[in-house]
Amino acid sequence: MSTHFKSSSARFSTAVGAVSVAALLLAGCSSAEPQDGQSGQTPVSGGELVYASGDAEPTCLDPHVGGNYPQALVSTQYLEPLVSLNSDGEIIPWLATSWEEAEDGLSWTITVRDDVKFTDGTPLNAEAVKANIEHLKDPETASSTGFLALAKVKSTEIVSEDTIRLNLSQPDSALLESLSQPWLAIESPAALERPKEENCEAPVGTGPFIVDEWVKQNSITLVRNEDYNSPPADAAHEGPAYLESITWRFIPDSASRYAALQSGEVDVIDNAQPDTIASAEKNEDIEHLDAPRPGASNRIELNSSKAPFNDPLVREAFIHSANVDAGISSLFFDAAERSHSALSSVEELGYADPELFTYDPEEANRLLDEAGWDKRDSKGYRVKDGQQLSLEFPVSTNQSIPAEVSLFEQIQATAKEVGFKIDLNLLDLSSWYGALAENNYDLVSAPYTKVGPDVLRILYHSDGIVPAPSGYFANLSQVDNAELDKLLTQASQETDPDQRAALYEDAQKLILEGYYVLPLYDQQNHFLYRSSVEGLRALPTVSTPTFYDVWLNR
Amino acid sequence: MTRSSGTSGRLAAAARWFLSKFLGAVFVLWAVTTLIFFGIRMIPGDPAEAILGGPGSQASAAALAQVRADYGLDQPLVAQYFGQLARLVQGDLGNSYSLRLPVASLLGEQLPATLTLAVLSLILAWVVALGLATWSTLAGRGASIVSSGLEIVGAAVPHFWLASVLILLFSINLGWLPPVNTGSAEGLILPVVTLALPLAGFLGQVMRESMLNATTSPFALSARARSETEGGVLFRHSLRHAAIPGIALSGWAFGSLISGAVVVETIFARPGLGRTLLSAVTLRDIPLVTGVALVSALAYVLVMALSDVAERVADPRVRAS
Repeated sequence: MSTHFKSSSARFSTAVGAVSVAALLLAGCSSAEPQDGQSGQTPVSGGELVYASGDAEPTCLDPHVGGNYPQALVSTQYLEPLVSLNSDGEIIPWLATSWEEAEDGLSWTITVRDDVKFTDGTPLNAEAVKANIEHLKDPETASSTGFLALAKVKSTEIVSEDTIRLNLSQPDSALLESLSQPWLAIESPAALERPKEENCEAPVGTGPFIVDEWVKQNSITLVRNEDYNSPPADAAHEGPAYLESITWRFIPDSASRYAALQSGEVDVIDNAQPDTIASAEKNEDIEHLDAPRPGASNRIELNSSKAPFNDPLVREAFIHSANVDAGISSLFFDAAERSHSALSSVEELGYADPELFTYDPEEANRLLDEAGWDKRDSKGYRVKDGQQLSLEFPVSTNQSIPAEVSLFEQIQATAKEVGFKIDLNLLDLSSWYGALAENNYDLVSAPYTKVGPDVLRILYHSDGIVPAPSGYFANLSQVDNAELDKLLTQASQETDPDQRAALYEDAQKLILEGYYVLPLYDQQNHFLYRSSVEGLRALPTVSTPTFYDVWLNR
Repeated sequence: MTRSSGTSGRLAAAARWFLSKFLGAVFVLWAVTTLIFFGIRMIPGDPAEAILGGPGSQASAAALAQVRADYGLDQPLVAQYFGQLARLVQGDLGNSYSLRLPVASLLGEQLPATLTLAVLSLILAWVVALGLATWSTLAGRGASIVSSGLEIVGAAVPHFWLASVLILLFSINLGWLPPVNTGSAEGLILPVVTLALPLAGFLGQVMRESMLNATTSPFALSARARSETEGGVLFRHSLRHAAIPGIALSGWAFGSLISGAVVVETIFARPGLGRTLLSAVTLRDIPLVTGVALVSALAYVLVMALSDVAERVADPRVRAS
């Protein structure tokens, strides 16, 4: 038995959707909802918004450099990509007005708007796009996320003033999804020519805000772009943003961040933890925005490259020994929903199979007996040929929030009942990378944010086992399956939507049914904001909030 | 004749004292640099990976190679170590890996915030500790038990706990003070109190003890015999006795304030050396970690020397020996 997100049981979900829309309309008919805000009032221009991030302060405000989520959060306010996604996961125009794939899939022709200027006055045109792609591919930029996303782009060709052709080494069904990400946003080519340090301080884009000042270890000040004219196709209004300025602060401590929100010192916070979300539910001055990140779900990867998890029976036994559901509902206060998929629930092509991930200690015991781990030592741990059934689980405290660490402890406790000994090691990020590079792990949880199902190729294609020079590799379960490789490669080149969906479904079946992963929940991405903040939404691409439509109802 | 030899003898002693302090300081700074340099590399992990953004972003081989070359991470460890020492001797603290700025200018930006916090906390801790000591000396046994209890509690509570309680009470329940740094003087109150109270507990314990001893000592008795009032005895004689161990501890106290700043600056989202240090360690930003450690060590050495001088001024016994 299996369930799909939205795609295959579409007829059923459409019916459900129609019923719920009707219900909403009935409920809302006394106060017709206007387009501009939830409150039904006309947006007011002006005011300063204070945003407090719990993430580490970026080391560079240009998301081409490196390319991580904290950079994406802030750069969404001042840089814009070529395309975006709507809430149905369809590609919609942004800086690009149209795009076309060649018959052979080996090139894409993209036309950009002819009436947009960067905030330094440089016009947006095909030359500008070319300069950005070259910047991303230049090793000196040290781009990682954007670089990876453009791996198949071989060269660029200017077709006309506003039209560019991207030549590919292989067909790339994920190209537009890649280009929708904030890490591939288009910057002013004149600004890119400045020294790297200068561009890191204040990148220049076409966005609704402009980087005014960055006081390191303190805050970033963004001011309104008065000439703004390039909102994405799904924005709620046109013209400049309502807010005059945004102060972007960094408050690393979760409790202080929430306290600052409660006292009105700040208007919006990110990285809201389950306990504060639960407390915010009771506070009528505070609203909650739940915006799960796309790409992979948060999951525990089982390292299949070495004993004991090179035996599929042991992997299956571990998965049935983990009581995940109970842990999630007690530790996450219902802020997180259990996932049974390798992909985020926002991914249209996600495939889930809850039957595979049931908590069933009896079955786990039977499987371990069958696998030859049929004796127990004095502490109750299983042994085979004098070896204890022990698992190394390095946990990065930079990536796993406290509630997640507690969940791992609960999994440790329930797995112990069937005889697994799990050594949880809490490590800082660099030490954690080190443990992975030495293949010194049996279990690991690593987030991966990317738009579209092509993330599966990065995480589960055997190419991903080959370590980078740093020793890091993305295929952490170390799945090495020729059939899976073939499916993922085909899917990444297949541009027929139905064919592509079918290939990804087959690939996900292989991953889930091989018991390589234990899905937990979507990559959590919760924002809390004062109820005076109107019109806040997260972009459907990588779920970063946009403040373009936001106004202050004070 | 005797007079001039006495002066030159005192000068020579002062020069010897200064030289020994100076050499001691140089040794401390070298040791700090060396410990940090090798210590941070004992922790597994690749600084190049951290420089490229860490979670969620996967560095390509080319990007890593570029970063290693840019930051000299591709050279042998010993070469990197001596290279760093040579630069430090010339006064060059290098460039931060993570913030892409000269370490010296970063420290210059962050130091005032931490110094303000540390100095204000030290003053507040002194006032509270002396207040408690005086109160328990003047008001008798009951007060002594109460202040002793307060001091033990104060000395025992961890900064992060105290900070959370203060935020809950004064920001969320009463709404009097901002829970995070606002750039205003108001925003300084909670962090200063958080740092000062545990320190006041420590200082208070030693100060009260020596103040009580002083009030029962023969010189206090003779002062009373000269018909000094109890207050006169306290302020003219006992206070100085109470201050001496406090002064001696202030060097150490300053060091503990700097380390407390790591927690307090993070919780109250204040800029400063402590917060800079925390993010620098996480990112394996060796130049920045070294820079913060050197500045803290230098401040510690200076404050120790100052408290040495102050102790000599306050206590004739130290001068005589």
